[in-house]
Amino acid sequence: MKVDIQLTDAGISFGGVHALRGVNLSIAEGEQICIIGPSGSGKSTLLGLMNGRLLTETGSVEVLGQDLLQLTARQMRELRCGLVWVPQDLGLVPNLRVLQNVLCGKAGRLGFLGLLRSLLLTRMSEAEEVRSLLERLGIPEKLYERTDTLSGGQQQRVAIARALFQDPVAILADEPVASVDPGRARSLLELLTGVARDEGITLVMSLHHVELAREFFPRLVGLQAGRVVFDQSADETTDRQLRELYATGEK
Amino acid sequence: MKELSRWRNWLGSRRLTLLAALVLFVVGLLVLGARLDDLKPSKGGLELAGKFLGAAFQPALGYEAADLPSTTPPFWEKVGRSLVLTLRYAVVAMSLALVGGMVFGILGSRAWWPVLNQHSPSGWVLLWVLRTVRIVVRGTATLARSVHELLWALLFLTAVGTSPLAAVLAIALPYGGTMAKVFSELLDEQDASAAGVLRSGGARSSAAFFIGVGVRTFPDLITYALYRLECAVRSSAILGFMGIPTLGYHIATAYEDGHLREIWTYLYVLLAAVIVIDQWGSLVRSRLSRPRPAREAGRAEDSVAELHRKRPRSLVLRASVVTALMAVALGWMTEKQWQSSLPAERRQANFERFLHEVVPHPVRENGNDWREFGPWLKERIWPRGMVALHRTFHIGTIAILVAGCGALMAVPFAARSLAGRDALGVPGGRERVSGLRAGAGRMLRVTALVMRSIPEYILAFLLLQVFGPTVWPLVLALALHNGGILIRLGSEVVDNRPSRAGQVLVAQGGSRRSSFLGSLLPESFNRFLLLIFYRWETCIREATVLGMLGVLSLGSLIDEANTRLFYDDMILYVLMGALLVFAGDVVSDLLRLRIKRGAIGSGGRHSF
Repeated sequence: MKVDIQLTDAGISFGGVHALRGVNLSIAEGEQICIIGPSGSGKSTLLGLMNGRLLTETGSVEVLGQDLLQLTARQMRELRCGLVWVPQDLGLVPNLRVLQNVLCGKAGRLGFLGLLRSLLLTRMSEAEEVRSLLERLGIPEKLYERTDTLSGGQQQRVAIARALFQDPVAILADEPVASVDPGRARSLLELLTGVARDEGITLVMSLHHVELAREFFPRLVGLQAGRVVFDQSADETTDRQLRELYATGEK
Repeated sequence: MKELSRWRNWLGSRRLTLLAALVLFVVGLLVLGARLDDLKPSKGGLELAGKFLGAAFQPALGYEAADLPSTTPPFWEKVGRSLVLTLRYAVVAMSLALVGGMVFGILGSRAWWPVLNQHSPSGWVLLWVLRTVRIVVRGTATLARSVHELLWALLFLTAVGTSPLAAVLAIALPYGGTMAKVFSELLDEQDASAAGVLRSGGARSSAAFFIGVGVRTFPDLITYALYRLECAVRSSAILGFMGIPTLGYHIATAYEDGHLREIWTYLYVLLAAVIVIDQWGSLVRSRLSRPRPAREAGRAEDSVAELHRKRPRSLVLRASVVTALMAVALGWMTEKQWQSSLPAERRQANFERFLHEVVPHPVRENGNDWREFGPWLKERIWPRGMVALHRTFHIGTIAILVAGCGALMAVPFAARSLAGRDALGVPGGRERVSGLRAGAGRMLRVTALVMRSIPEYILAFLLLQVFGPTVWPLVLALALHNGGILIRLGSEVVDNRPSRAGQVLVAQGGSRRSSFLGSLLPESFNRFLLLIFYRWETCIREATVLGMLGVLSLGSLIDEANTRLFYDDMILYVLMGALLVFAGDVVSDLLRLRIKRGAIGSGGRHSF
C-alpha cells in the first residue's frame, strides 16, 4: 500500500520543553486516523509537522514521498496544494461571501493574481462548481451570503467545502468539533469521514472525545506528553488504555 | 520578587490609577497657576457672552453690515463657497492620507512578513531588513503625526506661500501618519487564522496576507477613515485661522467685525457638515458589522444565476462607495490651480530664503559657525522653552482628566442600555419617569455630539473672549471636545458588551446607578482607561497649538516667533512640541499595551 505520510523519530521542542519526542507514524493513502490524548499532549503539534507548519528537529517527516526538510519554498508550496488544514476556528474570512471563501481553497494553485481574478470576477463555471459542493453539504442556498451571518454549523460546512474545493490528497483537521454540541459533532464527523472515503482522501484528525474517535475512526493514535503510547485499530483499544491515557495527563 | 511583580502590576490597581490622576490634576493646577476665581468672566466678557449666546437663536441669513460694495457676492453664496472649499480640502487631503496610510501602514506592520527561517543566513538578513524598514516607516509616520496640522500649515505657508496644495498637504501629512499607525495596529492585531489556512494550502505569503488579513481589516479601516474624514473637515475649517478662506477664516473675520450672528451661521453650517459625516460613518459601520439579510432568501433549488440575483446587497454601502469616489474626483478636479499663483521662480526664492532663515541666526551671521549653536539653543530652551513645554503638558493633562471624569459621570445617563425603561434589558416595570429619563439620555447624547463636532480651536477662541487670557479657556475647550468624544466611546463600551454581572444586579433589585458602579464600571474600567490614554495623547497635541491663541505655552512661543519673522526660533519650538507629542505618544502606547496585555482579555476594538 502507498504511504502518504511517514514520520520517523520525529520530535520538536519549544523553549527547551519537548512537545513531541521520537514519534514514528506511517499513514497510508486514503486511510482515516484519529489522534487522541489529553490537552497539551502534542496533538496540534503533530498535525503541524505533517504539513510543514512546524519542522521536525529530529529524524524526518516525509509527505507524499518528499522529505519536508529538503524542500525549497516553491516545492513546499506545491506539496501543500494537496494538503488541507482545518483549524479549530475554521480560519474563514468572516466578511467575504461563502462563494469567495470556498474559492480561496484554490489559493495555492491559482497564485496571487489568479486568486484575485477568481474572487472579483468569478466565472460561471466556478460558481456552479462551488454550488454543487455546497449542495452536497446541504447549504446550496447560502452561496452568496456573507460568511459571518451563517450559524456555527453552517460555517463548518463552508470550511469543508473549501477543503474539498482545494481537491486535496489529505485533510488534516485539528479538533474540528471541539466547540460544538454532540449532535452536530456527530453529523459533521459523518460528513467528513464519508466525503473522505468517497474521494479517497487521507484524513488525519485530532479529537477530544474518545467515544467519537472510536465510533468514526478505524485507527487510533494515543499521545501522552509528546510520545505515542499506542497506535492500533479502534477495536483493539481497551477502556483501560483510554483511562490511563487521560489519567496521567491530569496529574 | 513578589513585591516587584506587585509594583509592575500597579496599573491594574484602580486606586493607584485614580490617585495618580488626582496628583497630576493638583500639580497641573499649581504649575499653571490656575485659580478658580479666574473662571469668573470679566464684566465685558459676560456681556459679550450674553450677546453671543443670544445671537445663537438668530443666526444671520444675510450680511449684517449695511453698506457693502456692490461687488460683494450674495451672503449664501459666500457661505456655500467656504463650505465647499472646507469639504474639498478635507476630502482631497483624506484621499492622500488614506493611500499613504495604507502603504505606510502595511510597511509598518509585521503581519505581511513571510515566514522566515531565522537559522538560515538569508532568512536572518531578510528579517533584519524587514525590521529596519518597519522601524524607519513607523518613525516617519510618528514624526508626521507629531506636528499638528496647523503647524504644518504654518510651515508650508511661510516656506512657499499660500496655496491650496499647501493647505491639503498640511492636513494630509499628520493624517497620513495617524492612518498608518492605526492601520498597522489593526493589521498586527488581526486574527491571522485564515491566512494560516491559506498558506497551509500552498498559497504564497502575499496572497495569504491580502486575503486572510487584509480583507478582514478592510471594514475597520474604512470605518476609521470616515471618522478621520470628519476630523479632517474640522481641521480644514480651522486652517481658516491661518488665512485660507475656509469656514474658520470667515468665523475669525466675522468676529473681528463684531458680526456675532454671522459667526453662528458659519458655526451651524460647520456643525451640520460634521454631523452629517458622523452619522454617515455610523450608518456605514453598522452595515459593515451587521449586514442585513437579503430581501428575498435564496432556496436550495435555485440556480447560481438566481442565487446571484437574490444575494444580499446593501444600498447604503453601494451609494457610499459612489459618493466617496465622486467626492474625491470632484475635489481633485474642481481646483484649477493647486500651486499658488506666484510664479515658480518666486516660490523657489521664497523657499530658499526660508531654508536660509531657519538656520539659527548666530550661526548664520557668523558664516555657518555651528559653535554658536549651543548657547543659542540653551538660551531658548531654558527657561522659556521648558516652562512653555511644561505648561503645555499640564494643559493637555488637566483637560483630559476633567473630560474623563465628566464622561464617567455622564455615561450611566447617556448609554442606551441604561437610559431606556428596561435597564440592561431586564424588564423594569411601569414607571412614570421612563420617558423623562430616555429624553434626558437623548439630550445628553445630542449634547455630546455637538460638543465633539465643534473644533476645540474655535471653542477656545470663543471662550477666550469671554474669560480673558487665562489657561481656563484652553482647558475648557479641550475638555468639552474630548468629553463629547469620551461620552460616546464610553457609552459604546457599556452598550456593546452585555454585562451579566450588571444584569444580575438589576435583577436583584439594584438601581441603574448601582449596577453601573457595582459592575459595569469595574468591569470596563481598563477599557475606559485605554480610551482616556488615547485621548490624552491627542489632547497634548492640541494643547501645543491652542497656545497660538495667546496663552503662554509652546503655541504662543511659535506664534510670537512667526509674527516677528524669527523662523529659527519658530522651527525650534515646533520641534519641541513635536518632541513632547512624540514622547506622549510613546508613553501612551506603552501604557495602553500594558493595560491590554494585563487585565483585558478578548473584546471588540474601538473604531477610534
